[in-house]
Amino acid sequence: MPVDAPRDNLEATLAPLWARAQAGDEQAYREALERIAHRLRSYLRRRMQSLPDDLEDLVQETLLALHVQRGTHDPSVPVTHWVVAIARHKLVDLWRRRGRQDALHEPLDGLDDAQMPQASADEGPVRRDLSRLLDSLPEAQRQAIVLTKIEGLSVIEASQRTGASVAAIKVQVHRGLKRLAEHVRKTP
Amino acid sequence: MKTQALIDMLAQGAGPAPRALPLRRLTPALAMGLVLGVAASAVLLGTIPAALWLQPGPWMKLAYALALGAAAAAWAARLGRPGMASRRAGWAAAGVVALMLVLGGVSLLAMPASERLASLLGHSWAACPFNVLVLSVPALVGTLWALHGLAPTDGRRSGFAAGMLAGAVGALAYTVACDEMAPAFVAVWYSLGIGLTALLGAALGPRVLRW
Repeated sequence: MPVDAPRDNLEATLAPLWARAQAGDEQAYREALERIAHRLRSYLRRRMQSLPDDLEDLVQETLLALHVQRGTHDPSVPVTHWVVAIARHKLVDLWRRRGRQDALHEPLDGLDDAQMPQASADEGPVRRDLSRLLDSLPEAQRQAIVLTKIEGLSVIEASQRTGASVAAIKVQVHRGLKRLAEHVRKTP
Repeated sequence: MKTQALIDMLAQGAGPAPRALPLRRLTPALAMGLVLGVAASAVLLGTIPAALWLQPGPWMKLAYALALGAAAAAWAARLGRPGMASRRAGWAAAGVVALMLVLGGVSLLAMPASERLASLLGHSWAACPFNVLVLSVPALVGTLWALHGLAPTDGRRSGFAAGMLAGAVGALAYTVACDEMAPAFVAVWYSLGIGLTALLGAALGPRVLRW
């Protein structure tokens, strides 16, 4: 662990903030997550030089994991150690998935213009029709996004409406948006 | 999704973090495993005569299983929380097994050489590890479920600890049905059954405990 131990005093500012956040102080939690996100970005950037495009994705993935797993932080453990342990777990997981997928990937850089997919005028807009995109999502994710992002409910209201827990709604929204983004990126 | 938007969403109405998570997951898992294990043991294998409970044998098994279970539970609970030191808890569990092996060895040395082999093998040495393993299965399902609700970052090791804990529960359940009373028998064959369960847990861990 000492290799990854932060050299500055993030722990000193984070620890009291985190204690309040764990007790239910929403404002402290938001601030703690912001500081953690900042640290995660620099922690992961150094270890992901071969995958710069995935950096922000993994920062978010890790933040989501921290949120879902926040009951597993033991007060005897420095918050930064707990964060780093989870970030490293997520990073290894990404490498493992990439290791399997990389064989299937062809870098776009090597292609010339003729090989690039062309956007044609007659079919562009229809394909990206929002409701069709949303329909491609699993029901729970679609519903969470429709309620919170289109109907504009808060996560708490959405949770009351659907009967799912607040944490579950948050996870579904994040997963769903990520999936939509991937979908849009893949569909020419 | 912008990271700031994600943070806002996560923080919104987050409330307090769940407390005492390992205890809240492990307690129902172990209760379920113990009840099913003891029931299966009594129904499938039958119970030992009540008079045997006046001997030290069954109590020695219970003490061994409880001590090992407590150590394995502490180890598993630590492995389930990222950043927590777990090595010492692992050694403590190994220490309990080592202590039982020493006790078994001493008990063998204390008896005439001609009786040692019979004492070590009893009449059911071949069935014992297998019975402990089978009676551990409900508990293993429970402990893996419990750990899955935590955040184990080392699937194989966490699976091993979960299996060791489940094996201790299986040994507890088998005590109800097993009439072997020799310390050496318990030290070798019970430990082997618990070890098999631990290996099963380690085999399942990387797959089952992913998150």
